[in-house]
Amino acid sequence: MHPTALRLVALLATGLAAGCATVPPESEPEARAEYFETNDPLEPLNRVTYAVNDAFDIMLLRPAAEAYRLFLPQPVRSGIGNVIDNLLLPKTAAHQLLQGKPEMAGKAIARFVVNSTVGILGVFDFATDLGLEPQYEDMGQTLAVWAGTTNGGPYIVLPLLGPSNLRDVFGRSIDIATDPWDYIGQGDTVRALRITRTATQVIDTREQLIEPIDELRQRLDPYAALRSVYQQQRARDILDESPPRRRFFDWRFRPE
Amino acid sequence: MQRRVFLTGLLAALPVTGAWAEDRASRAAAFIEAQGKALVAVLDSDTPLPEKRAEVARLLREAVDVRGVGQFVLGRHWRTASEAQRGQFLELFEETLVRNLSARFGELQGVTFEVGRAQPRGEDGVSVATTVNRPSQPPVMLDWLVSEASGRPLIVDLIAEGTSLRITQRSEYSAVIQRGGGRLDVLLDAMRRQLAQLEARELASN
Repeated sequence: MHPTALRLVALLATGLAAGCATVPPESEPEARAEYFETNDPLEPLNRVTYAVNDAFDIMLLRPAAEAYRLFLPQPVRSGIGNVIDNLLLPKTAAHQLLQGKPEMAGKAIARFVVNSTVGILGVFDFATDLGLEPQYEDMGQTLAVWAGTTNGGPYIVLPLLGPSNLRDVFGRSIDIATDPWDYIGQGDTVRALRITRTATQVIDTREQLIEPIDELRQRLDPYAALRSVYQQQRARDILDESPPRRRFFDWRFRPE
Repeated sequence: MQRRVFLTGLLAALPVTGAWAEDRASRAAAFIEAQGKALVAVLDSDTPLPEKRAEVARLLREAVDVRGVGQFVLGRHWRTASEAQRGQFLELFEETLVRNLSARFGELQGVTFEVGRAQPRGEDGVSVATTVNRPSQPPVMLDWLVSEASGRPLIVDLIAEGTSLRITQRSEYSAVIQRGGGRLDVLLDAMRRQLAQLEARELASN
Protein backbone atom coordinates (compact mmCIF):
# COMPACT_ATOMS: atom_id res chain seq x y z
CA MET A 1 0.00 0.00 0.00
CA HIS A 2 1.12 3.54 -0.68
CA PRO A 3 2.65 5.13 2.47
CA THR A 4 0.26 8.08 2.44
CA ALA A 5 -2.73 5.78 2.11
CA LEU A 6 -1.38 3.67 4.95
CA ARG A 7 -1.00 6.72 7.14
CA LEU A 8 -4.54 7.74 6.30
CA VAL A 9 -5.89 4.32 7.28
CA ALA A 10 -3.98 4.45 10.55
CA LEU A 11 -5.33 7.92 11.23
CA LEU A 12 -8.88 6.82 10.49
CA ALA A 13 -8.52 3.79 12.74
CA THR A 14 -7.34 5.85 15.71
CA GLY A 15 -10.04 8.41 14.99
CA LEU A 16 -12.70 5.72 15.09
CA ALA A 17 -11.28 4.24 18.27
CA ALA A 18 -11.28 7.68 19.90
CA GLY A 19 -14.88 8.09 18.76
CA CYS A 20 -15.99 5.05 20.73
CA ALA A 21 -17.07 4.95 24.35
CA THR A 22 -15.18 2.41 26.47
CA VAL A 23 -17.03 -0.60 27.87
CA PRO A 24 -16.94 -0.60 31.69
CA PRO A 25 -14.90 -3.51 33.16
CA GLU A 26 -16.46 -6.78 34.40
CA SER A 27 -15.88 -5.63 37.98
CA GLU A 28 -18.64 -3.06 37.57
CA PRO A 29 -21.67 -5.10 36.51
CA GLU A 30 -24.18 -2.27 37.03
CA ALA A 31 -22.20 0.22 34.96
CA ARG A 32 -21.87 -2.50 32.32
CA ALA A 33 -25.60 -3.19 32.31
CA GLU A 34 -26.27 0.51 31.91
CA TYR A 35 -23.76 0.72 29.07
CA PHE A 36 -25.54 -2.00 27.13
CA GLU A 37 -28.98 -0.61 27.92
CA THR A 38 -28.01 2.85 26.68
CA ASN A 39 -26.59 1.15 23.61
CA ASP A 40 -24.57 4.11 22.44
CA PRO A 41 -21.01 2.95 21.70
CA LEU A 42 -20.53 5.83 19.26
CA GLU A 43 -21.51 8.44 21.86
CA PRO A 44 -18.51 10.79 21.44
CA LEU A 45 -19.05 10.93 17.68
CA ASN A 46 -22.83 11.13 18.06
CA ARG A 47 -22.52 14.09 20.42
CA VAL A 48 -20.52 15.98 17.79
CA THR A 49 -23.14 15.25 15.11
CA TYR A 50 -25.83 16.28 17.58
CA ALA A 51 -24.14 19.61 18.23
CA VAL A 52 -23.83 20.31 14.50
CA ASN A 53 -27.49 19.37 13.92
CA ASP A 54 -28.49 21.56 16.84
CA ALA A 55 -26.70 24.60 15.41
CA PHE A 56 -28.22 23.96 11.99
CA ASP A 57 -31.65 23.68 13.57
CA ILE A 58 -31.32 26.93 15.50
CA MET A 59 -30.10 28.80 12.44
CA LEU A 60 -32.42 27.40 9.79
CA LEU A 61 -35.01 24.80 10.69
CA ARG A 62 -36.56 26.31 13.79
CA PRO A 63 -36.92 29.79 12.24
CA ALA A 64 -38.52 28.20 9.17
CA ALA A 65 -40.96 26.30 11.40
CA GLU A 66 -41.72 29.49 13.34
CA ALA A 67 -42.44 31.34 10.10
CA TYR A 68 -44.69 28.51 8.94
CA ARG A 69 -46.65 28.72 12.17
CA LEU A 70 -46.79 32.51 12.01
CA PHE A 71 -48.01 32.84 8.43
CA LEU A 72 -50.42 29.92 8.17
CA PRO A 73 -53.39 29.70 10.52
CA GLN A 74 -53.71 26.51 12.53
CA PRO A 75 -56.58 24.91 10.54
CA VAL A 76 -54.64 25.41 7.30
CA ARG A 77 -51.57 23.78 8.83
CA SER A 78 -53.70 20.86 10.03
CA GLY A 79 -55.08 20.45 6.51
CA ILE A 80 -51.59 20.45 5.00
CA GLY A 81 -50.41 18.02 7.66
CA ASN A 82 -53.37 15.75 6.91
CA VAL A 83 -52.37 15.65 3.23
CA ILE A 84 -48.82 14.70 4.19
CA ASP A 85 -50.06 11.98 6.57
CA ASN A 86 -52.48 10.67 3.97
CA LEU A 87 -49.68 10.18 1.45
CA LEU A 88 -47.90 7.92 3.96
CA LEU A 89 -50.83 5.49 4.26
CA PRO A 90 -50.00 3.21 1.28
CA LYS A 91 -46.53 2.67 2.75
CA THR A 92 -48.09 2.01 6.17
CA ALA A 93 -50.47 -0.56 4.65
CA ALA A 94 -47.60 -2.34 2.88
CA HIS A 95 -45.67 -2.61 6.15
CA GLN A 96 -48.73 -3.88 7.98
CA LEU A 97 -48.95 -6.67 5.42
CA LEU A 98 -45.24 -7.40 5.87
CA GLN A 99 -45.79 -7.53 9.63
CA GLY A 100 -48.70 -9.94 9.23
CA LYS A 101 -51.47 -7.51 10.20
CA PRO A 102 -53.83 -7.71 7.21
CA GLU A 103 -56.86 -6.25 9.06
CA MET A 104 -54.81 -3.19 10.01
CA ALA A 105 -53.62 -2.89 6.41
CA GLY A 106 -57.24 -3.02 5.24
CA LYS A 107 -58.10 -0.20 7.63
CA ALA A 108 -55.15 1.88 6.45
CA ILE A 109 -56.25 1.45 2.82
CA ALA A 110 -59.87 2.26 3.71
CA ARG A 111 -58.66 5.35 5.54
CA PHE A 112 -56.61 6.36 2.51
CA VAL A 113 -59.58 5.91 0.17
CA VAL A 114 -62.02 7.84 2.39
CA ASN A 115 -59.70 10.77 3.10
CA SER A 116 -58.44 11.00 -0.49
CA THR A 117 -61.98 11.26 -1.84
CA VAL A 118 -64.47 12.56 0.74
CA GLY A 119 -61.60 14.30 2.53
CA ILE A 120 -60.56 16.08 -0.69
CA LEU A 121 -57.04 14.74 -1.38
CA GLY A 122 -56.48 14.13 2.29
CA VAL A 123 -57.09 17.66 3.58
CA PHE A 124 -59.91 16.59 5.90
CA ASP A 125 -59.70 13.57 8.15
CA PHE A 126 -63.23 12.19 8.02
CA ALA A 127 -61.99 8.61 8.28
CA THR A 128 -61.38 9.00 12.03
CA ASP A 129 -65.10 9.71 12.46
CA LEU A 130 -65.76 6.35 10.79
CA GLY A 131 -63.45 4.59 13.24
CA LEU A 132 -60.52 4.43 10.80
CA GLU A 133 -57.92 5.99 13.04
CA PRO A 134 -54.52 7.42 12.10
CA GLN A 135 -51.70 4.89 11.97
CA TYR A 136 -48.11 4.84 10.86
CA GLU A 137 -45.64 2.07 10.08
CA ASP A 138 -42.23 2.05 8.45
CA MET A 139 -39.46 -0.39 7.49
CA GLY A 140 -37.66 0.11 10.81
CA GLN A 141 -40.76 -1.12 12.65
CA THR A 142 -41.17 -4.04 10.23
CA LEU A 143 -37.54 -5.08 10.74
CA ALA A 144 -38.09 -4.93 14.50
CA VAL A 145 -41.19 -7.14 14.23
CA TRP A 146 -39.26 -9.62 12.09
CA ALA A 147 -36.33 -9.61 14.49
CA GLY A 148 -38.71 -10.01 17.43
CA THR A 149 -37.04 -7.27 19.46
CA THR A 150 -37.43 -3.53 20.02
CA ASN A 151 -33.64 -3.28 20.36
CA GLY A 152 -32.50 -1.47 17.22
CA GLY A 153 -28.78 -1.81 17.79
CA PRO A 154 -26.35 1.02 18.45
CA TYR A 155 -27.83 4.52 18.65
CA ILE A 156 -26.78 6.71 15.74
CA VAL A 157 -27.27 10.44 15.27
CA LEU A 158 -27.53 11.10 11.56
CA PRO A 159 -26.40 14.39 10.08
CA LEU A 160 -29.51 16.58 9.50
CA LEU A 161 -31.93 13.67 10.10
CA GLY A 162 -31.18 13.31 13.81
CA PRO A 163 -31.77 10.33 16.16
CA SER A 164 -31.70 6.83 14.72
CA ASN A 165 -30.10 3.45 15.26
CA LEU A 166 -28.57 0.74 13.12
CA ARG A 167 -31.93 -0.86 12.35
CA ASP A 168 -33.68 2.40 11.56
CA VAL A 169 -30.86 3.66 9.33
CA PHE A 170 -31.25 0.48 7.31
CA GLY A 171 -35.06 0.69 7.35
CA ARG A 172 -35.08 4.32 6.40
CA SER A 173 -32.89 3.80 3.35
CA ILE A 174 -35.21 1.02 2.17
CA ASP A 175 -38.24 3.25 2.70
CA ILE A 176 -36.65 6.09 0.76
CA ALA A 177 -35.71 3.77 -2.10
CA THR A 178 -39.16 2.19 -2.29
CA ASP A 179 -41.49 5.17 -1.76
CA PRO A 180 -44.57 4.24 -3.82
CA TRP A 181 -45.09 7.87 -4.90
CA ASP A 182 -41.71 7.82 -6.63
CA TYR A 183 -43.02 5.30 -9.13
CA ILE A 184 -45.93 7.39 -10.34
CA GLY A 185 -45.63 10.13 -12.92
CA GLN A 186 -42.64 11.87 -14.39
CA GLY A 187 -41.52 15.22 -15.70
CA ASP A 188 -40.69 18.53 -14.08
CA THR A 189 -44.08 19.07 -12.44
CA VAL A 190 -43.98 15.72 -10.70
CA ARG A 191 -40.40 16.35 -9.61
CA ALA A 192 -41.38 19.74 -8.22
CA LEU A 193 -44.30 18.17 -6.37
CA ARG A 194 -42.01 15.58 -4.82
CA ILE A 195 -39.59 18.23 -3.58
CA THR A 196 -42.48 20.31 -2.24
CA ARG A 197 -43.82 17.28 -0.40
CA THR A 198 -40.49 16.50 1.26
CA ALA A 199 -39.90 20.13 2.24
CA THR A 200 -43.43 20.48 3.62
CA GLN A 201 -43.03 17.25 5.57
CA VAL A 202 -39.84 18.53 7.19
CA ILE A 203 -41.33 21.93 8.11
CA ASP A 204 -44.61 20.38 9.32
CA THR A 205 -42.76 17.93 11.56
CA ARG A 206 -40.50 20.64 12.92
CA GLU A 207 -43.45 22.96 13.57
CA GLN A 208 -45.11 20.31 15.72
CA LEU A 209 -41.89 19.89 17.67
CA ILE A 210 -41.24 23.57 18.45
CA GLU A 211 -42.29 23.36 22.11
CA PRO A 212 -40.96 19.85 22.86
CA ILE A 213 -37.51 20.70 21.45
CA ASP A 214 -37.45 24.06 23.24
CA GLU A 215 -38.15 22.16 26.45
CA LEU A 216 -35.48 19.63 25.60
CA ARG A 217 -32.88 22.36 25.22
CA GLN A 218 -33.55 23.53 28.79
CA ARG A 219 -32.57 20.15 30.18
CA LEU A 220 -29.33 19.23 31.90
CA ASP A 221 -28.26 16.90 29.11
CA PRO A 222 -30.48 17.31 26.04
CA TYR A 223 -28.50 14.71 24.11
CA ALA A 224 -29.05 11.96 26.70
CA ALA A 225 -32.71 12.91 27.17
CA LEU A 226 -33.41 12.82 23.42
CA ARG A 227 -31.68 9.45 23.09
CA SER A 228 -33.91 8.01 25.79
CA VAL A 229 -37.05 9.57 24.28
CA TYR A 230 -36.20 8.22 20.84
CA GLN A 231 -35.64 4.70 22.14
CA GLN A 232 -38.88 4.73 24.13
CA GLN A 233 -40.95 6.16 21.29
CA ARG A 234 -39.67 3.65 18.76
CA ALA A 235 -40.37 0.77 21.14
CA ARG A 236 -43.94 1.99 21.54
CA ASP A 237 -44.39 2.43 17.79
CA ILE A 238 -43.11 -1.08 17.14
CA LEU A 239 -45.45 -2.60 19.73
CA ASP A 240 -48.34 -0.49 18.35
CA GLU A 241 -48.83 1.06 21.78
CA SER A 242 -48.85 4.67 20.62
CA PRO A 243 -52.39 6.03 20.82
CA PRO A 244 -53.68 7.23 17.43
CA ARG A 245 -53.45 10.99 17.19
CA ARG A 246 -55.86 12.96 15.11
CA ARG A 247 -54.59 16.35 14.03
CA PHE A 248 -56.00 19.20 16.06
CA PHE A 249 -58.66 21.21 14.25
CA ASP A 250 -59.89 24.29 16.06
CA TRP A 251 -62.67 25.98 14.16
CA ARG A 252 -63.09 28.72 16.72
CA PHE A 253 -60.93 31.06 14.67
CA ARG A 254 -64.10 31.75 12.68
CA PRO A 255 -66.33 34.56 13.90
CA GLU A 256 -69.36 33.09 15.64
CA MET B 1 -70.21 10.09 38.50
CA GLN B 2 -71.00 8.54 35.17
CA ARG B 3 -67.61 6.90 35.12
CA ARG B 4 -68.21 5.32 38.49
CA VAL B 5 -71.49 3.87 37.31
CA PHE B 6 -69.71 2.55 34.25
CA LEU B 7 -66.93 1.01 36.33
CA THR B 8 -69.39 -0.57 38.69
CA GLY B 9 -71.17 -2.05 35.70
CA LEU B 10 -67.90 -3.35 34.38
CA LEU B 11 -67.09 -4.81 37.77
CA ALA B 12 -70.35 -6.73 37.86
CA ALA B 13 -69.72 -8.09 34.40
CA LEU B 14 -66.27 -9.42 35.25
CA PRO B 15 -65.55 -12.83 36.73
CA VAL B 16 -64.80 -12.77 40.44
CA THR B 17 -61.04 -13.29 39.93
CA GLY B 18 -60.73 -10.00 38.11
CA ALA B 19 -62.60 -8.11 40.78
CA TRP B 20 -59.62 -7.34 42.99
CA ALA B 21 -57.50 -5.94 40.15
CA GLU B 22 -60.49 -3.94 38.97
CA ASP B 23 -60.89 -2.55 42.45
CA ARG B 24 -57.27 -1.48 42.52
CA ALA B 25 -57.69 0.14 39.10
CA SER B 26 -60.79 2.11 40.09
CA ARG B 27 -59.07 3.25 43.29
CA ALA B 28 -56.14 4.55 41.23
CA ALA B 29 -58.49 6.33 38.82
CA ALA B 30 -60.40 7.94 41.68
CA PHE B 31 -57.11 9.03 43.23
CA ILE B 32 -55.94 10.72 40.02
CA GLU B 33 -59.33 12.37 39.59
CA ALA B 34 -59.20 13.81 43.11
CA GLN B 35 -55.57 14.95 42.93
CA GLY B 36 -56.10 16.45 39.49
CA LYS B 37 -59.13 18.40 40.66
CA ALA B 38 -57.21 19.73 43.64
CA LEU B 39 -54.33 20.81 41.39
CA VAL B 40 -56.60 22.51 38.84
CA ALA B 41 -58.34 24.35 41.66
CA VAL B 42 -55.00 25.74 42.86
CA LEU B 43 -53.89 26.62 39.32
CA ASP B 44 -57.09 28.54 38.62
CA SER B 45 -57.13 30.37 41.93
CA ASP B 46 -56.10 34.02 42.26
CA THR B 47 -53.63 33.46 45.09
CA PRO B 48 -50.25 35.21 44.70
CA LEU B 49 -47.44 33.24 43.09
CA PRO B 50 -45.35 32.24 46.15
CA GLU B 51 -48.42 30.89 47.96
CA LYS B 52 -49.59 29.14 44.83
CA ARG B 53 -46.21 27.47 44.50
CA ALA B 54 -46.25 26.41 48.14
CA GLU B 55 -49.73 24.98 47.66
CA VAL B 56 -48.64 23.03 44.57
CA ALA B 57 -45.59 21.74 46.45
CA ARG B 58 -47.86 20.48 49.21
CA LEU B 59 -50.14 18.71 46.71
CA LEU B 60 -47.13 17.21 44.99
CA ARG B 61 -45.70 15.82 48.21
CA GLU B 62 -49.08 14.32 48.97
CA ALA B 63 -49.61 12.74 45.54
CA VAL B 64 -46.15 11.78 44.33
CA ASP B 65 -43.80 9.20 45.80
CA VAL B 66 -40.92 11.67 45.59
CA ARG B 67 -38.50 9.45 47.47
CA GLY B 68 -39.34 6.38 45.39
CA VAL B 69 -39.13 8.23 42.09
CA GLY B 70 -35.92 9.98 43.17
CA GLN B 71 -34.37 6.65 44.09
CA PHE B 72 -35.40 5.15 40.74
CA VAL B 73 -34.09 8.14 38.84
CA LEU B 74 -30.70 8.04 40.55
CA GLY B 75 -30.49 4.31 39.83
CA ARG B 76 -27.19 2.67 40.66
CA HIS B 77 -25.80 5.96 41.97
CA TRP B 78 -28.29 5.92 44.85
CA ARG B 79 -26.49 3.08 46.58
CA THR B 80 -23.07 4.69 46.39
CA ALA B 81 -24.37 8.10 47.53
CA SER B 82 -23.74 9.26 51.07
CA GLU B 83 -26.70 9.96 53.35
CA ALA B 84 -26.08 13.71 52.98
CA GLN B 85 -25.97 13.46 49.18
CA ARG B 86 -29.21 11.49 49.13
CA GLY B 87 -30.89 14.13 51.24
CA GLN B 88 -29.62 16.94 49.04
CA PHE B 89 -30.61 15.09 45.90
CA LEU B 90 -34.17 14.43 47.07
CA GLU B 91 -34.56 18.05 48.10
CA LEU B 92 -33.30 19.31 44.73
CA PHE B 93 -35.37 16.75 42.86
CA GLU B 94 -38.58 17.76 44.60
CA GLU B 95 -37.80 21.44 44.07
CA THR B 96 -37.21 20.70 40.36
CA LEU B 97 -40.60 19.02 40.07
CA VAL B 98 -42.33 21.98 41.73
CA ARG B 99 -40.44 24.62 39.76
CA ASN B 100 -41.13 22.82 36.49
CA LEU B 101 -44.81 23.29 37.23
CA SER B 102 -44.63 26.80 38.69
CA ALA B 103 -42.63 28.09 35.71
CA ARG B 104 -45.70 27.14 33.66
CA PHE B 105 -48.45 28.53 35.85
CA GLY B 106 -49.31 31.02 33.10
CA GLU B 107 -49.77 28.36 30.42
CA LEU B 108 -51.65 26.11 32.83
CA GLN B 109 -54.46 28.58 33.48
CA GLY B 110 -57.81 27.13 32.48
CA VAL B 111 -56.72 23.55 31.87
CA THR B 112 -59.30 20.82 32.20
CA PHE B 113 -58.78 17.07 32.24
CA GLU B 114 -60.67 13.85 31.79
CA VAL B 115 -59.75 10.58 33.41
CA GLY B 116 -59.82 7.68 30.98
CA ARG B 117 -59.02 4.01 31.28
CA ALA B 118 -57.18 2.58 34.28
CA GLN B 119 -55.13 -0.52 33.52
CA PRO B 120 -53.18 -2.68 35.98
CA ARG B 121 -49.49 -2.83 35.05
CA GLY B 122 -48.42 -5.73 37.24
CA GLU B 123 -46.06 -4.89 40.07
CA ASP B 124 -45.48 -1.38 38.73
CA GLY B 125 -48.99 -0.37 39.74
CA VAL B 126 -51.95 0.92 37.75
CA SER B 127 -51.68 3.16 34.75
CA VAL B 128 -54.40 5.82 34.62
CA ALA B 129 -54.93 7.57 31.30
CA THR B 130 -55.87 11.25 31.28
CA THR B 131 -56.50 13.74 28.51
CA VAL B 132 -55.50 17.28 29.38
CA ASN B 133 -57.17 20.09 27.46
CA ARG B 134 -55.77 23.60 27.31
CA PRO B 135 -57.73 26.45 25.76
CA SER B 136 -57.27 26.41 21.93
CA GLN B 137 -54.37 23.98 22.10
CA PRO B 138 -54.16 20.35 21.04
CA PRO B 139 -55.08 17.99 23.89
CA VAL B 140 -52.22 16.20 25.64
CA MET B 141 -52.36 12.54 26.69
CA LEU B 142 -50.82 11.89 30.07
CA ASP B 143 -50.70 8.45 31.69
CA TRP B 144 -50.10 8.32 35.43
CA LEU B 145 -48.54 5.28 37.01
CA VAL B 146 -50.06 4.84 40.47
CA SER B 147 -48.54 2.44 42.96
CA GLU B 148 -49.90 1.30 46.31
CA ALA B 149 -46.58 -0.18 47.41
CA SER B 150 -46.38 2.30 50.29
CA GLY B 151 -49.85 1.39 51.55
CA ARG B 152 -51.70 4.28 49.90
CA PRO B 153 -51.92 5.27 46.23
CA LEU B 154 -49.01 7.43 45.09
CA ILE B 155 -47.85 8.57 41.64
CA VAL B 156 -44.59 6.89 40.66
CA ASP B 157 -44.32 7.87 36.97
CA LEU B 158 -45.82 10.14 34.36
CA ILE B 159 -45.94 8.93 30.78
CA ALA B 160 -46.31 11.98 28.55
CA GLU B 161 -47.25 11.09 24.98
CA GLY B 162 -45.63 7.71 25.35
CA THR B 163 -42.45 8.83 27.07
CA SER B 164 -41.81 7.80 30.66
CA LEU B 165 -40.55 10.75 32.61
CA ARG B 166 -38.66 8.70 35.17
CA ILE B 167 -36.87 6.60 32.56
CA THR B 168 -35.86 9.69 30.56
CA GLN B 169 -34.78 11.47 33.72
CA ARG B 170 -32.71 8.51 34.89
CA SER B 171 -30.97 8.31 31.55
CA GLU B 172 -30.21 12.02 31.62
CA TYR B 173 -28.96 12.18 35.21
CA SER B 174 -26.80 9.14 34.66
CA ALA B 175 -25.21 10.82 31.62
CA VAL B 176 -24.52 13.97 33.64
CA ILE B 177 -22.84 11.95 36.40
CA GLN B 178 -20.84 9.90 33.95
CA ARG B 179 -19.60 12.94 32.08
CA GLY B 180 -18.73 14.51 35.40
CA GLY B 181 -16.27 11.67 36.04
CA GLY B 182 -18.75 9.55 37.99
CA ARG B 183 -19.25 12.17 40.70
CA LEU B 184 -22.73 12.73 42.07
CA ASP B 185 -21.82 16.24 43.19
CA VAL B 186 -21.54 17.27 39.55
CA LEU B 187 -25.20 16.37 39.10
CA LEU B 188 -26.22 18.18 42.28
CA ASP B 189 -24.45 21.35 41.08
CA ALA B 190 -26.07 21.07 37.66
CA MET B 191 -29.49 20.69 39.30
CA ARG B 192 -28.88 23.81 41.39
CA ARG B 193 -28.00 25.78 38.26
CA GLN B 194 -31.09 24.46 36.50
CA LEU B 195 -33.27 25.52 39.42
CA ALA B 196 -31.84 29.04 39.23
CA GLN B 197 -32.76 29.12 35.54
CA LEU B 198 -36.27 27.88 36.20
CA GLU B 199 -36.65 30.54 38.86
CA ALA B 200 -35.60 33.24 36.42
CA ARG B 201 -38.06 31.88 33.87
CA GLU B 202 -40.82 31.88 36.44
CA LEU B 203 -40.21 35.53 37.26
CA ALA B 204 -40.20 36.40 33.57
CA SER B 205 -43.40 34.58 32.62
CA ASN B 206 -45.70 35.12 35.58
